[in-house]
Amino acid sequence: MTSPLLSVKNLVVEFHTSEGITRAVNDVSFDIPQGKTIGIVGESGSGKSVTSLAVMGLLQKPAARIPQGEVFFNGVDILKCNDDQMRDLRGNQISMIFQEPMTSLNPVFKVGDQIAEALRIHKKMTYKQAWDRTVELMNEVGIPNPAASAHKYPHEMSGGQKQRVMIAMAISCDPKLLIADEPTTALDVTIQKQVLDLLFKLQQNHKMSMMFITHDLGVIGDIADDVVVMYRSNVVEKNNAKDIFHSPKHPYSRGLLACRPKLGENPRRLLTVSDFMNEAGEEIKITVEKTTVFDKETAPQKDSQILLEVKNLVTQFPVKGGIFGRTIDHFKAVDNVSFTLKKGKTLGLVGESGCGKTTLGRTILRLIEPASGQIIYNGQDITNVHAEELRLLRRKMQIIFQDPYSSLNPRMTVSEILTEPLNIHNVGNSKKERIDMARTLIERVGLKANQMNRYPHEFSGGQRQRICIARALMLRPEFVICDESVSALDVSIQAQVLNLLLDLQEEFGLTYIFISHDLSVVNFIADEVGVMYAGKIIELDKASKIYLNPKEEYTKALLSAIPKGLVSTSLLV
Amino acid sequence: MAKYIIRRLLYLIPVLLGVSLIIFVLFNVIAGDPTAVLLGKNATARQMADLREQLGLNKSLLLQYLDVVKSAFTFDFGRSWATKQEITSMIKQGAYPSLCLTIPAFVISTVLAMLISLVVAFYRGKGIDLFIRLLCIAGMSVSALAYILAFQWFFAYKLGWFEISGFEYGFPDFIPYIALPTIVWILLSLGPDVRFFRTVILDEIYQDYVRTARAKGLGEIRILLKHVLRNAMIPIITYTVIQIPFLILGALLLENFFSIPGLGGITLNALNSSDFPVIKAMAILSSVIYIVFSLISDILYTLADPRVKLK
Amino acid sequence: MKENSLWRDALRTLVRDKWTLFSLVIVVGYSLIALLSATGLIAADWAQEVGASNLPPSAEHIFGTDIFGRSVFMKVIRGTQIAMSVGLAASLIAIPIGVLLGALAGYFGGWVDDVITWLYTTFSSIPNIMLLISITMILGKGIFSVYAALGATSWVTLCRLIRGEVMKHKEREYVQAAGAIGGGHLRKLFIHILPNVMHIVIINTSLQFQVAIKSEVILSYLGLGVQGEPSWGTMIDDAKLELARGVWWQLAGATLAMFLIVLSFNLLGDALRDSLDPKLKGK
Repeated sequence: MTSPLLSVKNLVVEFHTSEGITRAVNDVSFDIPQGKTIGIVGESGSGKSVTSLAVMGLLQKPAARIPQGEVFFNGVDILKCNDDQMRDLRGNQISMIFQEPMTSLNPVFKVGDQIAEALRIHKKMTYKQAWDRTVELMNEVGIPNPAASAHKYPHEMSGGQKQRVMIAMAISCDPKLLIADEPTTALDVTIQKQVLDLLFKLQQNHKMSMMFITHDLGVIGDIADDVVVMYRSNVVEKNNAKDIFHSPKHPYSRGLLACRPKLGENPRRLLTVSDFMNEAGEEIKITVEKTTVFDKETAPQKDSQILLEVKNLVTQFPVKGGIFGRTIDHFKAVDNVSFTLKKGKTLGLVGESGCGKTTLGRTILRLIEPASGQIIYNGQDITNVHAEELRLLRRKMQIIFQDPYSSLNPRMTVSEILTEPLNIHNVGNSKKERIDMARTLIERVGLKANQMNRYPHEFSGGQRQRICIARALMLRPEFVICDESVSALDVSIQAQVLNLLLDLQEEFGLTYIFISHDLSVVNFIADEVGVMYAGKIIELDKASKIYLNPKEEYTKALLSAIPKGLVSTSLLV
Repeated sequence: MAKYIIRRLLYLIPVLLGVSLIIFVLFNVIAGDPTAVLLGKNATARQMADLREQLGLNKSLLLQYLDVVKSAFTFDFGRSWATKQEITSMIKQGAYPSLCLTIPAFVISTVLAMLISLVVAFYRGKGIDLFIRLLCIAGMSVSALAYILAFQWFFAYKLGWFEISGFEYGFPDFIPYIALPTIVWILLSLGPDVRFFRTVILDEIYQDYVRTARAKGLGEIRILLKHVLRNAMIPIITYTVIQIPFLILGALLLENFFSIPGLGGITLNALNSSDFPVIKAMAILSSVIYIVFSLISDILYTLADPRVKLK
Repeated sequence: MKENSLWRDALRTLVRDKWTLFSLVIVVGYSLIALLSATGLIAADWAQEVGASNLPPSAEHIFGTDIFGRSVFMKVIRGTQIAMSVGLAASLIAIPIGVLLGALAGYFGGWVDDVITWLYTTFSSIPNIMLLISITMILGKGIFSVYAALGATSWVTLCRLIRGEVMKHKEREYVQAAGAIGGGHLRKLFIHILPNVMHIVIINTSLQFQVAIKSEVILSYLGLGVQGEPSWGTMIDDAKLELARGVWWQLAGATLAMFLIVLSFNLLGDALRDSLDPKLKGK
């Protein structure tokens, strides 16, 4: 057995700020053997990215300090290397791909030049040699028409293509180790799959070692040999990928695996990390009731009436042009969409960014005005109702947004945020009564009533999303649109919020439209699923039928993009 | 591109009309009838009426406004009340000394500020960065008047290194006269320039693409001079071009203190003799030049930044 | 707990930095001096002869005396009142106009935006110094002309900044959420968006204040400012002739007084931007 390519031993990273010292990485050790892929899994703040930056020597000094530990690369402790030695390693022997392809490329240089730069620095190539090699590399990473694309600027490329450029740059000097920090997180699902396949192929062809960092255990299943699970700055489990997936030992790993909804399973509730361990990190016994499998199809069906009917809805945005910037054309964001939704049911809308799902949701609420078509709510045509009537309708129809950080006014307390809808609609007789109503609801969504005087920034992302849910429910609506409401959350938090949404639906008899790019999440929560593409609903059916028997090519592509780790084992056989 | 320029050119029309309107309201409506002041206490009603006719004050307000607009396009501003000269020829005469002072001063101070801010950005967060930042703020907080007075008194009067005041036409004769005001100009502009350039450069240094460049194995100096500077140049060019109109306006206070017969000096003389037409002409002229250069600045911006799509 | 904690946090970081604390103390001190002088409690008898002509600084007259034997220190105090009043007046004119127009343009867009953008582009197209000179000359010399001139020029920057910031916030989800619960335009603009852009007003005012003070000094130096009362600008104008005779203290007194307050506003403006502008957080 040869010595590993990279060996991290007892690494500690601390950040020194005016607020004090925080330990981001605590006594972390792992090895990456030659030619193998290691997955590092953990949620935001677990220290996984900091570990990778420490290996690259890219931590921001002087705030970040490494008081302890060694990182051996090819037998050399690179923490002891000076700046020049590190520069020789970076981009040459060790290279890195980042999460955000949109901002990771220099906007004012051609992508070809940016790839060629590494070759000219490390391989001492001439401009011409480097450019020719760049075109070859771009071809290898699957950029169409590489010779012409090398002359493009980053903004002229799509997100997926930019990430391919980053990959081409990273492999240009045939590195021994490739670090990929959430390389697919910012991409659309179908693109994610392609980029993952590409990385796997390149790793095999170039016999590289790879350190793959992700928050999503599911993503890693297909490509990693070994997996390191990090939790709150510590490594809690190290094992080969198969063992982690089939018999995870640490309760946190178990929770992480269980909390992602999987295609082909229909539990009533998702298990969450807190079902496996308590706050102190101690294991707890799982109660049988929580694991019960629930089948939506066979559950008693109440024949309920239609709450919402959308007929031939079109929403368009003007395209400006000409010398005077007049409207010369229209772009149809929602193109002739029709569906019906029964009371107490959930319609899931899936699609990739730009497919019009968000615009559709906002048009139904008339936050955006439709161009044509009809929206019939509870038998009333609300397509053209006027401001005053619309204001009354807002009591019945609500929305929960995606970003828990920007959807709460940072200058209002939770109490002010929650009582505002009551003030607008004159619900409740006194301020005290309104605050009492807010208090009841805030406890219902799982927060404490004594936190009501705090400001949003004092809460975590998951807690903020609970506040958003409470705000949407303050007026006791019948119908709620959840627009990517769990997408920005860590997977374990995602499961808790999904469970909460389901519980509230049952308790208040809510009807949902659930918009998401994540087919497995939609499949878990929705009764019916509509697949959107280019403004149209191209396929609409019962959730189970969509994934068992997809009709459209696009739906099939979406389904095959779901990592195997997220498909129930019974479906894989 | 052509379409963009045409659109920007067309937008000049309402702005020019607006500027003319402000100047018209100030000088023709609010300022009122200047004839009494011009002719003194003993003027007869007849004389006043004649002068009013001569100055075009009997025209309707609309026609007077159109006169202002016309002068903004033709640069024909009439005659000065004080010197009775054609204002256009006064401006032509004054431009030479003004530009002799401002152009070298502007070029030197911009280049110097660039160099200093690059050094400061390289050593960001370190002692020298902090020191220069404080120096900039402190320098900006001293009155320009105090600088001029102190420098003139010490270097020209006490030490006799430079001419105290005056001007000589023709190169290199003007150098002893403009050297000291040039130095003062450079000192006055370094503070704000370095501060702005530093902020722009540091904004770029914290971008993700710089991390990518580091991950590629590039050295800090190469990153700063190639990747960061190329991005920072976009706002820096815009900032610099928009200052050019002020060069033509002249260095108001410097010319006054050093008795340089430039446009700034002309403006202040007009101020002292309540010479409305000259002030009005300077206001219109400087606005027109400003508008033209802000157009150039906009166009350069779109050329320098590949992300800006031209419709 | 009623106090908005974002502001409180900002204040706490501000006070922790000793430079910022220093500038806060200076600003408060100057304001007090200006207030006491304006109410006639101090420096009311600045015109009184207190000693011989042109006495150099001494323990008795820390900035010396001027040509008429008046205390330069008293004149500096009196000048402080003028300088601070100009800064205050410029802010009082600029803030309501700048905030209202900027907010309307940014929020409603369309023709409202076109008109307001045209208005401030027009105002900013006339170089500031020319506009200041023209307005003070035409309205007649005196402090009120200076107020008006500075008011007319200083709303422009604020208006442009507020417009841009409101445009950004308009798209944020919290504003859309306010619409979704039935809030109208007024509620969205004044209750939700404006409190979130107020930091721009504070930062900008701090920087505009010192620009106003500097402008007043120059206008007074040019003889366009306050008449019959000492201002730092007229003191420097006097010093211009005295310097050759070695009388430097009038220049020094006025320059030092102005330096301290302008420096403080500069430092304060920077510190405010660092602590209130979320874009700069974490740098």
